Order: sequence, then C-alpha cells, then structure tokens
Amino acid sequence: MDGNTARKIDDVPERELRLRDIGIDEEVEVVRFDLPVHQAEQLMERGIFPGCRLCPVRKSPSGDPIVMVDGVMLALRDEIAGCVCVKTSPRED
Amino acid sequence: MSTGTAQAPIATQPLVALVGPPNAGKTTLFNRLTGLRQKIANYPGVTVEKKVGVVSLPGGGTIDLVDLPGVNGFSARTLDERVTRDVLEGRVAGMRAPDALVLIVDSTRLEPQLMLVEPVLEIGVPTLLVLNMSDELAARGGSVDTAALGEQLGVEVVAGNARTGEGSAEVFAFLEKVRERGPLPERPCPAISNVTRGHPLPVVDAFAARRRHIREVGRAARFQAPVPSAVTQKLDSIFLHRVGGPLIFLGVVLLVFQAMFTWATPFMDGVEALIAGSGTWVAATLPDSWIRSLLIDGVWAGVGSVMVFLPQILILFLFLGILEDSGYMARAAVIADRMMHRVGLQGRSFLPLLSAYACAVPAILASRTVEDQRDRLTTMFVAPFMTCSARLPVYALLIAAFIPDRALLGPFMSWRSATLLGLYALGLIAAIATAFVLKRTLLRGEPSNFMMELPPYRLPTLRSIGLRLWDRTKIFMKRAGKIILSVTVILWALAQFPGGPENPPPIEESVLGRMGQVVEPAIAPLGFDWQIGIGLISSLAAREVIVGTLGTIYGIGEADETSLELQDALQSHLDLGSAVGLLIFFVFALQCLSTVAVMRRETAGWKWPALQFTYMLALAWVGAFLANRLL
Repeated sequence: MDGNTARKIDDVPERELRLRDIGIDEEVEVVRFDLPVHQAEQLMERGIFPGCRLCPVRKSPSGDPIVMVDGVMLALRDEIAGCVCVKTSPRED
Repeated sequence: MSTGTAQAPIATQPLVALVGPPNAGKTTLFNRLTGLRQKIANYPGVTVEKKVGVVSLPGGGTIDLVDLPGVNGFSARTLDERVTRDVLEGRVAGMRAPDALVLIVDSTRLEPQLMLVEPVLEIGVPTLLVLNMSDELAARGGSVDTAALGEQLGVEVVAGNARTGEGSAEVFAFLEKVRERGPLPERPCPAISNVTRGHPLPVVDAFAARRRHIREVGRAARFQAPVPSAVTQKLDSIFLHRVGGPLIFLGVVLLVFQAMFTWATPFMDGVEALIAGSGTWVAATLPDSWIRSLLIDGVWAGVGSVMVFLPQILILFLFLGILEDSGYMARAAVIADRMMHRVGLQGRSFLPLLSAYACAVPAILASRTVEDQRDRLTTMFVAPFMTCSARLPVYALLIAAFIPDRALLGPFMSWRSATLLGLYALGLIAAIATAFVLKRTLLRGEPSNFMMELPPYRLPTLRSIGLRLWDRTKIFMKRAGKIILSVTVILWALAQFPGGPENPPPIEESVLGRMGQVVEPAIAPLGFDWQIGIGLISSLAAREVIVGTLGTIYGIGEADETSLELQDALQSHLDLGSAVGLLIFFVFALQCLSTVAVMRRETAGWKWPALQFTYMLALAWVGAFLANRLL
C-alpha cells in the first residue's frame, strides 16, 4: 500500500460507524440513534445517550453485543447495535 | 386506571412510596422494613402487583409503605411505568397520594439511576435517597460523597445495604419524621414532567440534557464509578462463553427438570399419602352421612389435588429464586434470546416457559417480566402447551395401559419412555408453532427490542430466597388453590343429584353423568364414550382429576395411575387409536380452569382466555380425531 491510496481513503467522507462495527474493549461515543422514538427511549432510560461513552465488553454466544456503559453491563440485540451511530474520540477529561 | 383526583380514603397514617429502578434492591428494602406484614393485590384494572405493607417504627408508631414496580423512567411506555406514575401523582382509586418517598438506587450504577431523581423531586414531597449496595461500590474501588450529593440534589441521602440492613436506622429515622408530621393535607395532583410529555426539546435532546446535568451532579459529589467486578467478568467469560455458555445453560435447564421430576417425587408421594391417610382417618371418625361424603370426596380430594403440586412448585421456585438472585437468570435470558426470537418470542419469555413445565399458573404470572406487550401475550398464550405436572398422572396411566413395555432402542429407550418423550415434544412443537403464527397474525407488529441488564453476580441470601418462596407459594395457593377446590366441590355436588347427597343416584343418572352423555356425540368421533366424557369434564378442575374420576365411574374406588384394575377397565373402553387420541387430547386441550382464570386476570378480560381455550380445544379435537382414525 502506498501513500496515494492512504490519501484517497482520507478524502472519502468518513463512513458512519455503527456500534455493531466496534471491536471489544474499544471505547466510543454515541452520536445518534437510527431508531423510532420508543426504542431510543428504551436505550436512553438504560443510560445510552448521544454523547455518552460506551464500550463493547464481550459478545453473547449468539454474537449479540454486550456493552458497558457507566459501569452497567447491557446486552443488546445486534439489530439495535446496527442502529446506534458512534464515533471514536478521545476522552474530554 | 382512573384519571383525575381519586377519592382518597381518610388518612389515618401517612403513606410512603418506595420508588426505584428494577433490581436496585427495592423489594429487599421493602421486606426489611415491613417484615411479613404486607398485602399483595392488583392495581384496579391492570395486572401490576400492588404491594402494601405496614412498617412498625422503633418509636412505636406505624406507617404504610407501598412498594412500586421498578421503573427506569416515567415515559409510561410500560404498564409498570404507568402504574408508578399514577400512584405518585395520586391518581389511583382508593389510594392516597404518597406523603413521602423513598427513592432507592444501586450505587454501583449511580449515574444512570439518578436520572429518576429529578422527576421524583418534582412531586414535591419529602424524599429520602437511599444509595443501596454502597459496600459493593467501595469494594469495587468506587466512591461517592453522600453529603455533597445530597446538597447537589437538594435531598436527604443515606448510603447503606438493604441486604445486610446497613443504613436501616437512617431510613427508620426518616420514616419516624414522616409519621410525626402526619399525613399531608389534600392537595392538587402533582404531575411528573416527562421528557416526552409537553417538553419543549425533542425527546433525545431532553434526555441528553438531563443526563448532562446528572453528570455534573456526580462530578460535584466526587462520584467515582466502580471498576467492573473482576469476579463477574471471570464468571461471564465462562457463562457467556461461545461454546461453554450454551452448554452450561442446557445443564442448568436439565438440573431444574431433574429437581422438579426426581427430587420432588418423594415429597409428592408423601403429601399424597398424608392426604389419603388423613382422609381415611376423617372418614372413620365421621358417621356415614352426606357431610362425610362432601368432606372426603369433595373437599379432601380438592385439597389433595392442590397440595400434591406444592413440593414440585416449591422446588421450582427455589431453583428459579437462586438463579435470579445470583444474576444467572439474566445471562440465561441473553443466551435464550436468539433462539426464542426466531419463533417470535424473546429472552425474557424463557423463565415463564420453563416454569410452565411445573404448572402454567405460575408461568403466566411470571410473564409479567416480559416488557413488550405482544411478547408477553404470546408467552402467556403458549405456556399451557408445555407439559405441566398435572398431565403426568394421565400420561402414566394411559401409557401403562396401552403402550407395550418393549425395548425400542435396546436398553436405552423403551416404547413407553419414547411415547412420554413424544408427548413432551408434541407440546413444545405446538407452543413453537403457535407462537410463530401468533406473531405473524394477531400479535403482529414492530419487532420487540430485547435489552437486558446484566447485574453483577451475587451470592443469594437465605432470607431473600425464603421470602420469595413464601410470596410465590401464597400467590399460587390463592390463584390455583381456590379454583381447584371449588371445582372439585361442584363436581361432587353434580354427582349427588337428582336424589340428593342422602340418596345419590348411580353415576350415569346423575347430573354429571348426564353431562357426559350430552358431550358424547361431540367426542364419539374421537372414540371416547360418555364415561371418558365425564372424565374430561372433571379434569377441568385439574387434569389429573380424570384418573380418580374414571376409577369411580368404573366402580374401582380408590384408584391411582398405577392401578391395574383401572388399566384393565380402560382397555375395555378404549382401543389403541382412541387411547393415543386421549393422550393427544391432553397434550393440547386447556383442561384447567385455574389457567383460564389466571389468564382472565392477567389480560384483564375474557377475550384472550376464550380464544386460548377454543384454539387449544380445537387442536385437541383434531389431533385426537386423526389419531383415532389413523391408528
């Protein structure tokens, strides 16, 4: 791979990352939900918000993600994880 | 539920409401404060459990305490949230608005749980915030300055542990103050603001704003989140292992089955012997009269039918209690979710359906934990297809009478055990197929969103398991016991007329016998005669009642499923086809009025139980008809 290819990739607008694409132990920040309000509400009541930081800690035997948010472990379905847009960003503090 | 100001009863003592998210230790604190002085009922018109208890204060006085359902918010999306909001706003008929609140949160999950504080404080009554499991927070390297937190939130805060009783003194002191001040005067209903209700910001922003505020509060109170429990991580790497997890899950399910069916048997035999023995004793001491007959053949038989299930149900509840309190049940739900999702159910349906192998009544009650309404209805609808223990004596009798005791797979399996296994499988298949169809027809809708919080593993305490056992047994006796007993007595009465109990008619001339003859044309295509018809009618009390009834009808007297005379009598009334038909009938039909009654309660109407009864009866009829024709 040469420098050219690398620059090309940089030019492409960054593809939106979804929670399901994030590897284990990689901390990310939630950007927004691609979900109907009542499902988003359910996530928010359990501590998953735009702006919150979370981190997948393991996968369930069926491959669904289990994430850690504010010290709480939450098992989600993969379909939902596919509708949570995230970004990798350094901690503010 | 009524809206507007409900007519509140005259207050004699203050009412305090216990509020908090699920699994924060609300019920543990409730039990600790009230002991066993609690009353369980339903909120008017809905099936959410209302638990009210009396707290005896160290100072001598008492106050009323209500344990509200656990909620994560007040969006009123779930029934629990709606009920909690209505109670807090004083909108529940016959219940005054609380005079004070105790909000309990799990301090290891402090920040997300503090989201409840703001709306709760808006109610404007004295509030105590209990930070539960503070010892665990400390043990896992977290900390919070309770005084600073109280200052930030403008509320009294106490750190403690409801399981050990740490912090109870402060809670009692708060309740004492509430008692001294007395009930609050009548006041207009406060309204809990809700980010989705009349809030200027879009939902997501409003939530996020509230969350940011809580984060600032947490920072000011120097909240240090705990590190993830090392033990929990270690255990999860075993219990949620890609291969090991499902294997352990399977092992746990088998263990529960083993316990229910093997370990419970001696106790069940003991209870049976006890009932039979005491019945004989009562019969010998009483003069031969209709009262004796009512007592022995009505009441005693009814009590016996209920009691015989108790050991099995207690063992089931014991196991489920341990699994729930230890935190494993949440993992089991996660493992089961994918599998159950495929047939239209979800992970939370797993526990109710497992319970249904003992009895459908506790299973339907346990379906309350399924948040999604459509999933919950589906779970309740298919639960009675699981082979409950009341079916076993019927299966045992018919299999012994009609299936030859010959090897099928050498020493591994006989025809008899294969038949039993087949009946279990048939029920399970019917449940799966029914759930699959229901979720694509009557209960179609957006896919439900399964989300499960995985609490840290904890050692269950004897006290909490004991209380849970006591609680559930009481509910089972109340829901199933009353109905089984009254149906048995009614059946006894139907066999006494015309003629009356002093001079009972022969069974075929009694009202019960006539009922058998009335249904005969409907069941004749299945190869059943009117005697079997009587058996089917009487098995509506509880399925296994048919065994005793057939014994009476065939003039054998005291008969159970191992009685050879009863097996002989059956062989002269049924051929192989109709016997298998009868087995299949019992797999499918909802021969259990307790289940129907519980369904009516839980769905708040007759629609679902009526549909369920008709559907299962139709399936049973067709199944038995085919067996009778083909075999």
